[in-house]
Amino acid sequence: MSVLLDISSFTLDYATRTGMVRVLENITLAIQAGEVLGLVGESGSGKSTLAYAIMRDLPANAHERGGSICFAGEELTRLRARNIRALRGARIAMVFQDPTAALNPTLTLGSQIAETLIRHRLLTREAAWRESESLLRRVDIADPQAMMHRYPHEASGGEKQRVAIATAFACQPELIIFDEPTSALDVITGARILELFGRLRAETGVAALFISHDLALVSRIGDRVAVLERGRVVETKPADTVFISPTEPYTRALVAAVPRPSRRLVHDDDAPGEAKVVQLLDISVRYGRPSFFRRRQTLGASQVNLDICEKEILGIVGESGSGKSTLGRAMTGLAAFEGEIRLRGRRLTGPGQMDRSYRHAVQIVFQHPDASLNPRQRVADILARPLALFGGAAAEIPRLLEQVRLPPSYARRYPHQLSGGEKQRVAIARAFAAKPALVVCDEVTASLDVSVQAQVIALLLALRAEHGTAYAFISHDLNLVRQIAHRIAVMRRGRLVDLRAAASIAGPDAHAYTRELTAACPVPVGEETSQ
Amino acid sequence: MSDFTYRLLRTPQGVLGAAILVALGIVCTIGPAIAPADPEAMNVLGRFKPPGAQFLLGSDDFGRDMLSRLLVGARGTIPLALGATLLGTLAGAVIGTLSAYLGGRWDEAIMRTTDAVLAVPGLLLALLVANTLGKGSFNAMLAIAVAFAPGMARVTRSVALTVRRQDYVSAAIARGEGVAWVVFREMLPNVAAPVVVETTIRVAFAVMLFATLSFLGLGAQPPASEWGLMVAQARAFIHQAPWMIIAPGAAIALAAIGFNLFGDGLRDALNPRDAR
Repeated sequence: MSVLLDISSFTLDYATRTGMVRVLENITLAIQAGEVLGLVGESGSGKSTLAYAIMRDLPANAHERGGSICFAGEELTRLRARNIRALRGARIAMVFQDPTAALNPTLTLGSQIAETLIRHRLLTREAAWRESESLLRRVDIADPQAMMHRYPHEASGGEKQRVAIATAFACQPELIIFDEPTSALDVITGARILELFGRLRAETGVAALFISHDLALVSRIGDRVAVLERGRVVETKPADTVFISPTEPYTRALVAAVPRPSRRLVHDDDAPGEAKVVQLLDISVRYGRPSFFRRRQTLGASQVNLDICEKEILGIVGESGSGKSTLGRAMTGLAAFEGEIRLRGRRLTGPGQMDRSYRHAVQIVFQHPDASLNPRQRVADILARPLALFGGAAAEIPRLLEQVRLPPSYARRYPHQLSGGEKQRVAIARAFAAKPALVVCDEVTASLDVSVQAQVIALLLALRAEHGTAYAFISHDLNLVRQIAHRIAVMRRGRLVDLRAAASIAGPDAHAYTRELTAACPVPVGEETSQ
Repeated sequence: MSDFTYRLLRTPQGVLGAAILVALGIVCTIGPAIAPADPEAMNVLGRFKPPGAQFLLGSDDFGRDMLSRLLVGARGTIPLALGATLLGTLAGAVIGTLSAYLGGRWDEAIMRTTDAVLAVPGLLLALLVANTLGKGSFNAMLAIAVAFAPGMARVTRSVALTVRRQDYVSAAIARGEGVAWVVFREMLPNVAAPVVVETTIRVAFAVMLFATLSFLGLGAQPPASEWGLMVAQARAFIHQAPWMIIAPGAAIALAAIGFNLFGDGLRDALNPRDAR
């Protein structure tokens, strides 16, 4: 086999106000023709920068410090702009993370595929249009003819990513760079996109650089896997062994942090008491703008019945749009609901009745640590307010910070001076300032790296052991939920389809959708047998 | 803050705008002290003198020194324009943020009212208010503030709508905060950046609107040396003594350009995407 892409001792800096920051250090990687190389690394490891360096689309403040990127015998770093344009799209294609942002919202999907064909294969408009249709058929679009005339907002996320993949394959490129192509999609859609890629790869024999933060995904898709840590390639190994017996300490730490259902983190399975903290009775939530004439139309959740016991961790799982976050919003009074919520037997029929004692008992932690802390307030101010509202004193701030394993000096910092994991710790400290009986965790680890996720989960479990708090743990990551939850509720299209003990989630009597969800869930790396 | 100043002064428009504003600030504070003559001292023999050694920027129909009138008149023009804008901005920002926070029918009601007010041209509205309140600089300032508030409310609301969806606002609501806290403590500080930029650009409009009101006789009253009033009075002699209208006209333009450039610089400096 011949070497298609050969990167050797490639080094790159970003110029920032504080000086040069090394982003890629001495990268040496090779992709053979027809080979798929997986590239894993946590956020900030430089994996996307490497992709842009290959595509020759670096920001103005990037400074290359030597090394070479050689594509099919051609040195890319010295190529002139017009030669690069002939290369991009035609011989090296790229598929981005977010298909919604990657497609132009003002052009029809058809014209966006056809454009590539007209540009690089010099087809006429009609021929390009016909070719685009057959490309869409190849990526399993149900009605290609209709899809050609649709705009991006008229297609689902999965369909849009299929269109992006069809565009990437349009000119029969030798190399395709995938930058986290399934991260913006839900589990089942993502699994189908990967199946599609596997089939197209077998048909065309294309080589690929597959970038992801998901170890299981990369080891399943790639022939070999390179592990990137802070701009350095830690190791490159065949995909079937790299995570089974990791030798490098960094890889070992990554593998250890991956959630796996077989390793339970909660050991008091019988601890949850009989006493119910919060009960949801026939809860429905409607979304949309109410007009003067009609009620809100879209149902975010419909007639959900759930209860959460003292000290229990209730996992709520489902795809995006399944209504799992809606339930969390209803429980914390952020969404108007129909039905009844009971707090230790006390009935509430609307957010207006949620008084201080209810808020005291039920707190929420959000998904995006960047958005959940007010950027104009210091950590001390962020924590002081709930303390003041719920009968605490500002003197407790150091204790709260210590509780979430942050040094007391952090009280003077602003959120932008903290890392993502640290911000999430502050958000957790804010929720625990009220000494709640139930904390709704709405995808709290979804935007964190896997190693940081493990730390945050450990923190949540430690806090629960200390305070006896119950959690409503909302997540799309079934593996993670199976590690910590006592019971798991499965949501689909606003309805509760299944509710069972975590141990029996993969059982034969589970709901058909639950089984589909379990099957689509990636088998954690480092486990040789699949379940 | 030093980081912010650095980014502001990195752009040419920021430097130029800041320089003009500093100059205007100096004139506003020590203008009367550096004026070569008494701005209201008449000189029968020195009427309609073109710019020259005796009168650097010429003299007007009463033989008053134009330069001195401009230097002293800055006090009656810039601070009032600034005050009018700040007042209008503050009112608009609070209305817009409140509207975005309340949402639903309240938002609908507040915004449709604002639209109705916006449909009346700013100058007409200011004229109406100034006429109702009576002549005078302070009333003209209030009139301009009222004319500006609806526009600012619209701008602020659009920013506040994005802030409204942020989780820290949800967190505040979820812990049972009242309307005042959410609007003033959680949302307003975060809509400030674009509003501040819009404000500086509007100061330029305020200077011109203020000049227009004075020109129409509803703002500053003679013998005050307010710039707009000076333009109004010079109009009669535009062919005989063009410098009489050029000097205050140029001063207004310079102030407007200064605030505009400063606003441009601020927008670049406050843009977090440019943070490198």
